[in-house]
Amino acid sequence: MSVFSVGRLCVKIAGRDAGRKCVVVKSLDNNFVLIDGNVRRKKVNIKHLEAISQTIELSEGASHDDVAKSFEKLGLSVWKTKPKQAKAKPKKQKKVKDKSPKGKKSVDKKEDKKEDKKSKVAEPESESKEVKEESSEVAKESTEAKDGETEKPALEEAVSN
Amino acid sequence: MPAGKHKSGRYRKVFVKTPGGKTTVHFRERKPSKTICGSCKKPLLGTPRERPAKLSRKPKSSRRPERPYGGNLCSNCTRSVLKQKIRGESQ
Repeated sequence: MSVFSVGRLCVKIAGRDAGRKCVVVKSLDNNFVLIDGNVRRKKVNIKHLEAISQTIELSEGASHDDVAKSFEKLGLSVWKTKPKQAKAKPKKQKKVKDKSPKGKKSVDKKEDKKEDKKSKVAEPESESKEVKEESSEVAKESTEAKDGETEKPALEEAVSN
Repeated sequence: MPAGKHKSGRYRKVFVKTPGGKTTVHFRERKPSKTICGSCKKPLLGTPRERPAKLSRKPKSSRRPERPYGGNLCSNCTRSVLKQKIRGESQ
């Protein structure tokens, strides 16, 4: 039997948990054991442990809570891990909200531009037609006006007479 | 002519290429010596070699190992020291 049997109190020598007390919870191999206590529950090489004369009565593969209870009886502190808080995922709706006005605007602009182009293309044709019509109308008016001018003096002459 | 303080060897030379294409000499302060173990005098790992002003910008966990005697003793010496402590307590 090696020194590092289940329930053996140890001190960790290497790593960031060095100088802290722990218990062997399970022996995995000739060289490796599972430890718990005032350290992170971990598989560890025996070379990284220094055994103490004290032992604790533990069942093999005991849970962290059992180890914590027995440690509290001895007056030793226990490693407490902070529960991981899941980061709130960015809502997809926000992205849509952010994008939608920009996209709509751009679409609107494009549509406006298209419409403008269409109108620009359409306008000159209509204008030219109108101009032609106007020119023809003007010509008619001019002829009418000439007629009217010719008639008016005749009327004036008639009135004077 | 370089100033007297630049000729004493206290500053290190750094050749810098200017935007105009010339190479000019800049003088910068030398880095401090490597950190060594307090007992075995071997160079320590995990301790960056920078001016204290630069180190102060870094977080504490990146300046030295996160274990007892981190940044002062090497890992082997820490083990032996801790072993001695533990065995002294148990006896």
